[in-house]
Amino acid sequence: METNTSAVATEAAPASPVEREVVIETRNLSKIYRDFWGRKKVQALKSLDIEVQKGEIFGLLGPNGSGKSTTIKLILGLLFPTSGRVLVFDKDATETRKNERIGYLPEESYLYKFLTAEETLDFYGRLFDMSGEDRRRRVEELIKLVGLEHARHRQLREYSKGMTRRVGLAQALINDPDLIMLDEPTTGLDPIGTREMKDLILNLRDQGKTVLLCSHQLADVQDVCDRVAILHQGELKELGRVSDLLKVQDVTEVHARGLSEQAKSEIAEVIRRHGGEVESIDNPTATMEDLFLNIVRESEARPGARRLSTAGDDPAASAASAAPSAEPSASDQPASPKRDGDAAE
Amino acid sequence: MTLQPEDFWSYGEWLLRPNAFLRSALLQGVVLTVLAILVGLVLGYLLAAARKGPSEGFYAVARVIREMFVFDLPGTSVRRVYALSRLAFKEAIRRRVLVVAGVFVVILLFAGWYLNPKSDDPAQLYISFVLTATNYLILLLALFISCFSIPADIQNKTLYTIVTKPVRPTEIVLGRIFGFAAVGTCLLVPMGLASYLFVKGGLNHDHAGIQEIEQQADGTYVGKTTYDRHHQHTFTLTADEAGNLEGVTDIAQGHQHSITKAADSETYVIGPPTGALTARVPSYGSLYFLSRTGQRSEQGIDTGQEKGDGGYGSAGLERLIGRTSQANRIEFGYVEGGNLSAGIYTFDDVTPGRYQDGLPLQMNLRAYRAHKGKIDRGLRGTVTLRNPDTGAASNALTFIVDEYEVDELMIPETLAGNDGQRNRDLNLFEDLVNENGQLQLEIRCLDRGQYLGMTQGDVFLKPRENPFAWNFAKAYISIWLQMIMVISFGVMFSTFLNGAVAMLLTLVCVLLGFSAETIYDVRHHIDINKPMGGGPLESMIRIAKQDAMTTELDVDTLTSKIVKGVDTVIVYSMDVVATSLPNLPKMVETAEYAANGFDIFGSLLARHATTTLAYLLLTFFVSYFCLKTREIAA
Repeated sequence: METNTSAVATEAAPASPVEREVVIETRNLSKIYRDFWGRKKVQALKSLDIEVQKGEIFGLLGPNGSGKSTTIKLILGLLFPTSGRVLVFDKDATETRKNERIGYLPEESYLYKFLTAEETLDFYGRLFDMSGEDRRRRVEELIKLVGLEHARHRQLREYSKGMTRRVGLAQALINDPDLIMLDEPTTGLDPIGTREMKDLILNLRDQGKTVLLCSHQLADVQDVCDRVAILHQGELKELGRVSDLLKVQDVTEVHARGLSEQAKSEIAEVIRRHGGEVESIDNPTATMEDLFLNIVRESEARPGARRLSTAGDDPAASAASAAPSAEPSASDQPASPKRDGDAAE
Repeated sequence: MTLQPEDFWSYGEWLLRPNAFLRSALLQGVVLTVLAILVGLVLGYLLAAARKGPSEGFYAVARVIREMFVFDLPGTSVRRVYALSRLAFKEAIRRRVLVVAGVFVVILLFAGWYLNPKSDDPAQLYISFVLTATNYLILLLALFISCFSIPADIQNKTLYTIVTKPVRPTEIVLGRIFGFAAVGTCLLVPMGLASYLFVKGGLNHDHAGIQEIEQQADGTYVGKTTYDRHHQHTFTLTADEAGNLEGVTDIAQGHQHSITKAADSETYVIGPPTGALTARVPSYGSLYFLSRTGQRSEQGIDTGQEKGDGGYGSAGLERLIGRTSQANRIEFGYVEGGNLSAGIYTFDDVTPGRYQDGLPLQMNLRAYRAHKGKIDRGLRGTVTLRNPDTGAASNALTFIVDEYEVDELMIPETLAGNDGQRNRDLNLFEDLVNENGQLQLEIRCLDRGQYLGMTQGDVFLKPRENPFAWNFAKAYISIWLQMIMVISFGVMFSTFLNGAVAMLLTLVCVLLGFSAETIYDVRHHIDINKPMGGGPLESMIRIAKQDAMTTELDVDTLTSKIVKGVDTVIVYSMDVVATSLPNLPKMVETAEYAANGFDIFGSLLARHATTTLAYLLLTFFVSYFCLKTREIAA
């Protein structure tokens, strides 16, 4: 630890209030990719020190080539560190036995295309040395959980990208892992799938599991992660709790409903009187995700053509009505009710 | 097919070589294993040290070895191996390997165009054809499926989802090997059945009827069958009291038919061909020669390059202590006609229990004509039976040598002869076989100035025959073993090389086995300092200078020394590699046994199985370490 270059890391460590069990620990982790002749091609990772604690959702962020995937591969033992160490459950990352408690969803679902969903899950179940009965039960649960009942007997080659992703997720969960590593979990998923994935990740955390994910989908990371590490060019640039990192300290936000124009200007007046500066007083816009999910949900409830909002309509009104119904589901309620029971197990 | 001395070894003799332990398979296997371990450790340490520094490297190597014994070997689970095997099986099937079966059927369908119907021994032709075709197709298949699977999985990254499960490298390797073996077996079994039916069906025929028949003065009937399938038979029929006729034809194209005619019927019933598909279980004797002057000699007369012309074999580990190999191969030793020279075989265990209807003697002699002689008939020889103790001997039985075919002589139980004092009828088992059950057989050539050639395996007694189908199955088991060998090498190379390179290397390993004999010969000539073309460098110089092979190398002394030194290093290294690799050609040879109608010795099959198992283990451990220490995602 003597060459700990990351000041941020040491700073962030006290941020966790109580001492908790550490699931993943990297110590001064570096990786240099070399060519065939041993010449250095690229330094993918420089002295990374992070600790992932039990029960948190930890996000690895960074642009392409920043070292996110390298970190995940080092943690999984798919790559060997050039220097430094990775400990997973206090075991060296190259040990096979740690995998008993790990679930891994790769960047793209690298599955055997000639197997059906059921065969795939059964195969991975066997790799955990699960008995026939356990496998059947678990496969059944997972197929329901990821919503592939209708396609369970089809070969994966016929699957859409989103469906393959779901099978990939199911295989990562086959052993009911304590640590789940997700490499770009939401790529290729439609907004509903993305929402479901996020709900599932939160659900797993609620079951006391640890989740490590890496993604470029910043909105998703913001939605689910407790803590994030931001990597750039192989170096750790930022590490901390999402709520702390994103909080804008000197701006105050007030949400209110049913205010008249008169009231708004009075409020602005009050702010000015107290020496504050009004940046904007405006109707909030909902996210595209909320709008989309709302429309789909409405369509499921009432099939048929939907009356399109015309220029005369107030788009903000429909969005605002969408927002309250979507908001709670982002945090604790799964998007579709039928998944509720499965996810809770 | 000429059997070599090593072919006669029993399993125990091969494994331990009682009088030459240094050449034993066991020692060779142990040394190979130890060497592999040492090379592995040194190489592993060097690589680890280069990556992590000397002390860390040592620790890394120790950790890998500890993990193998503590976790990976005991942690290997049957269920995981089974799951991975099934996957490998499905994957191979999906890659349309079953096409091979289709190719095979097509080959069989068109085989008729290429197999010479006029052949003297169609059975040999058919059997060796189907076995060779199967052998090469299966080996090619094994080569393709085994070399590309792991590299493809690494490239598609499907291996990522596997190695991030608690899967041991042992299981990945075993899973592949078993899965591919299952694929090969699934192909081999139907191919075997199809081949069997093809051979059976291809050789089956009947003759339209009797072309001519004539009653002899002694009441028997002599005649000829019709000319079908490029041959006809002559036959002799005898009548029983009821007037029914029965008899067998002579042997043509390696088979005969039975012919019967009921008294109240006009038609002759010709049975199906018999004797073409056999699995003779030979009982071999030991052989020594008598020279022209009647002196005992271990070697017969050399009519040309019969000895010394290649085939020194591997001397095993003896070379390490400076002993070089003797000629290993035995070619024909000849006996000359018209003088005292003879070939004398001593057979053991000649008892009435084993030979109930007389002594079936089979000979596969070679004829060497020093002059034209009587060109329209074969050379004549004699066989004399002799009691090795009392000297009682039968009269000489004459026969005419059928070249390239097995002569069969049925020696009756009672023979005219001389018991040492007087001429009388001798009983085979009482007078000619000594107390230890030994019988001597003396073979001479009758034609003056002509020569008969023989080796130990060419004259034998035939106490019994095994079912042909079982022998055929044994030939297929041998192919199966070769397949396992290729698969395990292919999988081994594919754990650290890409598919194409792995395939090339596996192919080189197979081919090196085929040229091992040449390498041994070159080495032998270097050892005894005999100019025979020399090693690769010397040969190249000779080719450039257009020098003859057997002259001294025509360069100055220093250059000659350098060239020879370099050659020695190259040839010795090649020798080491060739000796370390499995000798596949030896295993391919089992097809010859089946084709020539010999039972494939159980010991031979056991030897092949042992070798295969040993190499399987070796490649398994090498594969394990390669997979364990490589970065899957690199």
